Amino acid sequence: MGGANAPRRLSGMQKQVLALYRGFLRAARSKSPDDRRRVESIVSAEFRRGARQVDRKNFLYIEYLLRRGKKQLDQLRSPDTTALSSLNFIPPSQSVDSRK
Amino acid sequence: MASVSAASVTFRALSKPSLKSNETSSLKVVSLGWRKNGFPSLRSSRFRVSCAQAKPETVDKVCEIVRKQLALPAEAELTPESKFSAIGADSLDTVEIVMALEEEFDISVEEESSQNITTVQEAADLIEKLVQKKPEA
Repeated sequence: MGGANAPRRLSGMQKQVLALYRGFLRAARSKSPDDRRRVESIVSAEFRRGARQVDRKNFLYIEYLLRRGKKQLDQLRSPDTTALSSLNFIPPSQSVDSRK
Repeated sequence: MASVSAASVTFRALSKPSLKSNETSSLKVVSLGWRKNGFPSLRSSRFRVSCAQAKPETVDKVCEIVRKQLALPAEAELTPESKFSAIGADSLDTVEIVMALEEEFDISVEEESSQNITTVQEAADLIEKLVQKKPEA
């Protein structure tokens, strides 16, 4: 993680991730309070898990996650969508891709 | 010289029809700065006006939201100058804080400016600016 005091310069990819996160939180606002809370906790957990576990240099994987996230966000934006159970699905590849 | 300060004072009054007690106090600060500077050039006065300090209650509210958002313990110190990164907020937290502030103040923060916010004071100043811009309903 960057120095605590240095002005943080975000890479383009970091900005994309943050923009996606913002998009999710915006979309969650349009749901009922209960659904919203659920969606927010799932989304937040998902992004934090990514921040913890995904190698910062694994651009291909991050790009894949970004694409996947954008699609999920499009679905979430639809007024018919009330929950994000799909985000609970964690592909088993997760355990394979890191540490050797 | 006098005409310059008069012009900017009316500008302030125009942008905020509701003159509150703090309003006058912040005006005082501005004029004091001029006197100290001794150089009330058009440029410096504009700069001062555009970055007018946020009202104390805005700062307090921002602090409160930041505390809630980061689940800071009550004894944790939080000043307007506290850097978000110094109180343990990562970039995702910062996004959450900005989103919460948007809702609280009923404003919309652009992507770019939200990434430049690093302290409570900066957030409060930005909010102040956006709230003033908002057309009075």
